[in-house]
Amino acid sequence: MTHRSDELLQDYLDDLLGSEAPPVQVAPRSPAPEEHREAGVRDANAEKQRQLQKLLNSAKLQVAQVAPQSPPEPEIKEPVPVPSELEPAVVVPEDLTQPEQAEAVAQVLDEQLQWHVNGRPHWAQDEFEVLLFKVSGLTLAVPLITLGQIQPLTDELTPLFGQADWFMGLQPTPSGKVRTVNTAKFVMPERYDPEFVKTAQYVISINGVPWGLAVDKVEQPIRLNPEDVKWRSERGQRPWLAGTVKAHMCALLDIPQMGHLLTKADKNAG
Amino acid sequence: MATNANQNHNADDPVLQWVTFRLDGETYGINVMQVQEVLRYSEIAPVPGAPAYVLGIINLRGNVVTVIDTRHRFALPAAEVTDNTRIVIIETDNHVIGIMVDSVAEVVYLRQSEIETAPNVGNEESAKFIQGVCHKNDELLILIELNKLLTNEEWAELDEI
Repeated sequence: MTHRSDELLQDYLDDLLGSEAPPVQVAPRSPAPEEHREAGVRDANAEKQRQLQKLLNSAKLQVAQVAPQSPPEPEIKEPVPVPSELEPAVVVPEDLTQPEQAEAVAQVLDEQLQWHVNGRPHWAQDEFEVLLFKVSGLTLAVPLITLGQIQPLTDELTPLFGQADWFMGLQPTPSGKVRTVNTAKFVMPERYDPEFVKTAQYVISINGVPWGLAVDKVEQPIRLNPEDVKWRSERGQRPWLAGTVKAHMCALLDIPQMGHLLTKADKNAG
Repeated sequence: MATNANQNHNADDPVLQWVTFRLDGETYGINVMQVQEVLRYSEIAPVPGAPAYVLGIINLRGNVVTVIDTRHRFALPAAEVTDNTRIVIIETDNHVIGIMVDSVAEVVYLRQSEIETAPNVGNEESAKFIQGVCHKNDELLILIELNKLLTNEEWAELDEI
């Protein structure tokens, strides 16, 4: 990305925050030499890339289960176990429509909705992992702990008439029907590119609610220090926006809040 | 019939029959109890001054039946009439009307427990026409609540046609 486009993107992220950009608070807890830190980042990136590949592999296998008419795979692989540190991100109730299970996760979701007096959400009190993904050219980050599964979007995505324009449809998955959000339209309606409905490849489900975000491309998970994020102070206009991460030129989504908003928007929600 | 046996077997979870039809590439279902018959497309006489969702009227064995433009009602794009186009004659709220659909597919049997609530986000009134959704035969059926297809005021409007 060019310096100019970096600037434009930063301007956009600053616009999202709705305020002038104060210096980004980058305050590493232990001041390490820069070169040592970069080498560490490279190693960590390689590991994250490997973990992401495993996540995507397991998503591909699940597609084969729900679309038997697709060309057969040369060999059927066993589901790839998810690395233990990512497990909270991919554990989803088998059937989100079960009231007992919904109730069980409700308490956790309530916790994750809370923002502390230090201006950070509950899930960002310590270092946390986020998954980066692309939506119409914009990089978005979501905390891994709030995610469900990554599923490919298929022809089975069924639109429903009479819904909001950001509702793409219902995507059948082994875990149930994911109510798929047109993330590009939801997050940046003013810059919406209709091509997104053709380019979106995956739906990332939100843990605990039957909603998911359509995305173009899933990138690697990364670990963030809370100080790496410019946290949003005024969250009235875009409550789903937690902040921005300058180092990765991305907007950090408050997925628990987003799930809460989506659930609240559903007039049929019990 | 096996289905009847199932229906009797579990009164708490009755099996319902749904007539499925296609509209703009998606499959919809309506309760078979409300379907009187399915007609091939025939000339529909337009009615001057009728609401936009009314295509016109047909003569059904001496009775005048109003035909609804289902695509218009569901805010779907208009389409040409084809050989597969059908008019489904339904009875709801003591009224008989026809709904025009792209094609009629089959009758499916669904357990009540298989039907899931559909989301209702946004401000479109038409969302209330969706009773629920159900995954059947590798596709998602959108089940229509015919009783909500028209409001009391709209029924009164149709009665004047």
